[in-house]
Amino acid sequence: MKDFILKRVASIILPFVFIYGIYVILHGHVSAGGSFAGGIIVGLSFIAFSTIYGIDKGRAKLPEKVLIFTESYGTLWYGIMGMVGIFKGVPFLTNKLAGIDLGVPGALSSAGLISLIGLGVGIRVASTMVTLFFIMVEDE
Amino acid sequence: MIASIKANLPVFVVIVPLFIAFILLTFTRRMRLVEGLVIFAEALGLVCAGYLAYTVLKQNGTQIIYQLGGWPAPWGIELKVGSLAALFLLIIFGVCFPVAIFAKGNLTEEVGSNERITRFYVLYLLLGGALAGMAVTNDMFNIYVLVEVATLSCCGLVSARKHPRAAEAAFTYLILATLGSALVMGGIGFIYITTGHLNMGFASQELKQVWQDNPHVVWMAVSFILVGFGVKSALFPLHVWLPDAHSQAPTPASAVLSGIAVKGYLICFLKFMYGVFGPELMQEFAVNRILVFLGLVAIIGGSLSALTQDELKRRLAFSTVAQVGYIYLGFGLMNEKGLAGALFYLTSHAVIKSTLFLAAGAILAATGKKKISELKGIGRKMPITMATFTIASLSLIGVPLFSGFVGKWHLLLGSLEAGNIIPAVIIIFGSVLCAAYLFPVIRIAYFEPAPEEEWKDPGLSQKCSLILLSTVVVILGVVPGPILELARRAAAELLML
Amino acid sequence: MKILLEKLIINYPYCIAAILFMIGGLTVLTRSNLLKKLLGINIMESSIFLLFVAGGNIRGGAVPVFDKANVESVYINPLPSALMLTGIVVSVSVTAFALALIIRLYKTYGTVDAQRIAQMRNEVEEK
Repeated sequence: MKDFILKRVASIILPFVFIYGIYVILHGHVSAGGSFAGGIIVGLSFIAFSTIYGIDKGRAKLPEKVLIFTESYGTLWYGIMGMVGIFKGVPFLTNKLAGIDLGVPGALSSAGLISLIGLGVGIRVASTMVTLFFIMVEDE
Repeated sequence: MIASIKANLPVFVVIVPLFIAFILLTFTRRMRLVEGLVIFAEALGLVCAGYLAYTVLKQNGTQIIYQLGGWPAPWGIELKVGSLAALFLLIIFGVCFPVAIFAKGNLTEEVGSNERITRFYVLYLLLGGALAGMAVTNDMFNIYVLVEVATLSCCGLVSARKHPRAAEAAFTYLILATLGSALVMGGIGFIYITTGHLNMGFASQELKQVWQDNPHVVWMAVSFILVGFGVKSALFPLHVWLPDAHSQAPTPASAVLSGIAVKGYLICFLKFMYGVFGPELMQEFAVNRILVFLGLVAIIGGSLSALTQDELKRRLAFSTVAQVGYIYLGFGLMNEKGLAGALFYLTSHAVIKSTLFLAAGAILAATGKKKISELKGIGRKMPITMATFTIASLSLIGVPLFSGFVGKWHLLLGSLEAGNIIPAVIIIFGSVLCAAYLFPVIRIAYFEPAPEEEWKDPGLSQKCSLILLSTVVVILGVVPGPILELARRAAAELLML
Repeated sequence: MKILLEKLIINYPYCIAAILFMIGGLTVLTRSNLLKKLLGINIMESSIFLLFVAGGNIRGGAVPVFDKANVESVYINPLPSALMLTGIVVSVSVTAFALALIIRLYKTYGTVDAQRIAQMRNEVEEK
């Protein structure tokens, strides 16, 4: 009985948790939150899914290869965004001096590199949380 | 293109190992590509470090300042490459590159499957990148973050072996190192609350004017940083994690941990004590006398403990505790010869200890025997390995014509200049003790009859790396010129601030 | 004596940080259960976060979001909070790694007590 209630409620709520996590990642430069907190929320939605529906279904949704791919290339995305400045002749991780348009503060598409870097870091943090969960849960 | 690479070298030295570490996990199935990428990353780092050292030597006093993100100093993170940073970058990549060559093909029986070996290499590259960052950065919180990255990589490297004792040693190391990190963060918090700056240059200027108003807070900051970095770099009473951790790690990890990881925390300690607090505050709070005293106790205590160990790797680990005592003694003397001697001794010890650990690991892999008393007659069966071990031991003891002698000579001159005769006596006594625990190994290896077993020298890449490292040891002893000049200029820069 | 007590009560965040630090430090060093050592590390790091964030606080200051209505109000320093986000990430990583090591030790030795593990290891080595 308890399983039945959990599964029905989770199937309604967990997609909204996922979208809320992506909202927090994308609005890092406008309001509170940012890449790390948003990444944890996205990761937690997957962990809740694995806990309620069983580990095998969780692993089927996110196999090992996808997790390794997002972990590695999420962090590399940070580095490549930093190299944009070096190609234009200014130091590493520059924002305005590299000619990126900063826009109106307070709008969603402002602050140049900050939201782009936050996207990569958010995806990486989410996949790390899921990897840690799968490692701790395995029985043998 | 070349000009923009040259202008951005301080950042490239840090991020090239990190980038290659990030993408290494996706190539797990092709081991040759993984090993090739690791050796390529270390070689590239060595070339960049060499070019930076050459530039700093030619510039003769001005330091390269690099601002991350284009923001000037109090608002942004600043990277400052002076003689100290150039020296330490050379040490890091000069040790990491031969050890990476040694680790090629040697890791299967200690670490396990291909996937675990790839993760080992990821942690190895992360450690190299974090230590390079610790050398160049000028911002206090950046040092804390990089110290944490280095600590986690070190613990991961120690726990890579499949034996359960490795997990226990890694857990003790993790708990004590995190205690040290929390103390360091507390110290940085106190400095930030009193001065309001996180940049080391600005904090130092502000501290000179402000410290009279709240001397107790500054005293707490000094002691937190002393104990915090003391736990991480194995100052004498706080060294209890080191013998287990360094003897239970796989061989390339032991070499890198004992060689450069401990030295990285020493360089950060130096930057905080001389760069932020300054020599006057150090004398005010008697830090220099504490360092001299603890260094002397470490030399005697570490060497005496090393005499009682029968396992080869544990003996070498206790020897690291003793040699770190020499370096702390040099830091506490506070004159130019003492500091230059300590920095040169740091360089030579990094190379020597890596050679010793790699040779010990090669012996362990070939024979399977851990204790010294069982290694009879190995000198004739594995000639190249024991020859490099002997050269490194002679240099560690301080025989003239090898690099250890130059470092100890400058330490002696520094302690005589400071007016203190006790450190000079104990330095010489320490060399005698060092001979006492290294000569039995050489004697048993060469002068005892060998049992009739098939012990061969390790493979080609291992022999190449051992010969490369021992050649560097000999060259540092015969021609210490450029490195000694870098060390002397680093000491002058630190003392003038 | 009254002045000392007054100063302690005005600076209550720092006092609480000091007490938490001592509790955490003693737990790490004296308890022999590995999980309790890990909890002690977490308490210690929490006390340092409290120290930093309390150091950036100004009593009566406004939330550090730029307000066009009164431009000259005194804002709380937002830098220590941002620094402590990084510190929390580090603390989470250390906790995760230590838990993985504890799981590995439990599978090998069957107990989570540091002294029992050392005893069992010595017995195995003597054989």
